[in-house]
Amino acid sequence: MFGQKGLELIKELNRTPDVLPPFNDDVIRQVLEEMNALFEQNRMDLDKEKDANYAGVHVRHASLERNRRCLLAYLYNRINKIRQMRWEFGSIIPPEIKYNMCEPEVQWFNNYNKILATYMRGIGNKHGLNLTLDRQPPKELYIEVRCLEDYGEYEMDNGDVVTLRKGNMYLLPRGPCEQLIRQGILQHITD
Amino acid sequence: MNSAETEFIAEKELVSIVPNFNYEVIYLISGDIGPFRAGLPVKVPIWLAMSLKRRQKCRIVPPRWMNVEDLEEVKKQELNERFFTKMPSEHYMVEAHLLLSVAADDIPRCEQIRTILKDIWDIRMSKLRSSVDQIIKTNAIHARLDHLTLMEINSIRPLLPHALDQLFRLQNGRGPSQASGSQAFTQ
Amino acid sequence: MDSSFGLDNEVALSDDETVTVQQVLETLENAWLNEKFSPELLPHQTDIVDCMFEQISGMEENLEKVDQSDIRVEIHRMELDRIRYVLSSFLRTRLEKIEEFCTHIIEEDSTRDPDERYLSPGEKKFAEEFQNNIEQHFERVALRHMPLNVQKYDRQLMKVEPNLKSYVFLRARSTAEGLMLEGMDDTDEPLTMVKDSQHMALYSGVASLVKNGTLQLI
Repeated sequence: MFGQKGLELIKELNRTPDVLPPFNDDVIRQVLEEMNALFEQNRMDLDKEKDANYAGVHVRHASLERNRRCLLAYLYNRINKIRQMRWEFGSIIPPEIKYNMCEPEVQWFNNYNKILATYMRGIGNKHGLNLTLDRQPPKELYIEVRCLEDYGEYEMDNGDVVTLRKGNMYLLPRGPCEQLIRQGILQHITD
Repeated sequence: MNSAETEFIAEKELVSIVPNFNYEVIYLISGDIGPFRAGLPVKVPIWLAMSLKRRQKCRIVPPRWMNVEDLEEVKKQELNERFFTKMPSEHYMVEAHLLLSVAADDIPRCEQIRTILKDIWDIRMSKLRSSVDQIIKTNAIHARLDHLTLMEINSIRPLLPHALDQLFRLQNGRGPSQASGSQAFTQ
Repeated sequence: MDSSFGLDNEVALSDDETVTVQQVLETLENAWLNEKFSPELLPHQTDIVDCMFEQISGMEENLEKVDQSDIRVEIHRMELDRIRYVLSSFLRTRLEKIEEFCTHIIEEDSTRDPDERYLSPGEKKFAEEFQNNIEQHFERVALRHMPLNVQKYDRQLMKVEPNLKSYVFLRARSTAEGLMLEGMDDTDEPLTMVKDSQHMALYSGVASLVKNGTLQLI
């Protein structure tokens, strides 16, 4: 049946709402092939004279549009996930995620990084504000954290450098910790 | 809105502290605080009170309503009234939770206070559940919700608005005139 | 040492209006909650945001100069952190909506007068580039490989619009009279929302009163 492959792409995204599955080149190519075949068939039917099968033409055209819609929805929803990752992991994509992205997606991500950075720099009459920080209301200026992996030296905004070693506990300014906590390098110790 | 945000908002409320240090007026953007005189009560926002308390620079004076007698009275009233009564503070639950978490030693009979607050909360939640039930059953397009506190509103968000959104969509096919009038759940 | 850190308590938002910094902060906090709970993007508050940034950076500069063990330093820093959070959450909420409803917001804004626009200049630039970036991606990966008759990208088809017919909670900052909400008909009495009363209503019916400050979303 027409449109089956397109639907497969959508289902694939639905199956794994929290991760980015590998870019499905193969099925996308099949959808595009189906679209081109539908188009060719319609052209042939319409080239024939009066007795053209109009019902068939309509069904095929509807299938064409549906396929297009599925493809664009697939791309759009993947972009949404990639966008969320920018907010979670920062401007550098972890290699295991990048591996599942196609080249144009990597380029989309780089562009997104750029326009986001430009926007954030201009906030407050060019004072600039990193919106990816301060995601939760502030509690204390310093928070107690446990280091979960050997990270090495980490330089904070004020220039202080701290060496983060696995298993150690630190009392650090909350701001710079946020990202490291999200990346799973530090763990916030709460009482 | 998550609980951290509810706390953030409640932390703006003022509470009295008795500092153990002296200091002049501090001109905060959100308003002036102080002067601080050791041993004399002064009002500061809860976020500051908690920070000073953690560093043992002050003792927290419980808000006037945060005692067993007053809260028993609030509870009794809440039980007797059909509608929501006005709470002594707009953020009574959150304030109590925050202050009790750092200053249990400054608040007499804090365990009992916790229990009564929980009772009041439960009574109000049960009223809220029947109100929500009625809002949905009568298909109200508007409801008056006086005296509900932010945390209570949060407890029905996003479920109630979402359910009503869905109902609205279903009805839209039949035209908006299906919806009935306004509902009041307060006096 | 001057304990006010030399900051002016009064700021000018326009030629004929001076307000206290405290009022500016309150306006920002209200705008933040409105933006958080409103389904659609609300008018930008660049004046307020810029003014708050001036205050923050002025305060930060002054804090650098003071003995860091001074108790005030930490107290001021805590307050700055709180304000920065509100700013950040406010702008982030807006950005999320701009990304989600990008095409719709750009279209709507293009019909408004330049000083009535909902997007700030920075947001407008971001929105347009965001839209281009996505459209280029569609073009590159899919559209140009499609048959000619479906190659053209139809913005309207992919447009996501906010659901204005969603329910919100609100408090009246001043009394609003004669309200006819969505779904009320001629037989219904117009509604009055008394100052400080709280309500739940459809956003579409109260949007203009939220925008003009009569009602506050909660």
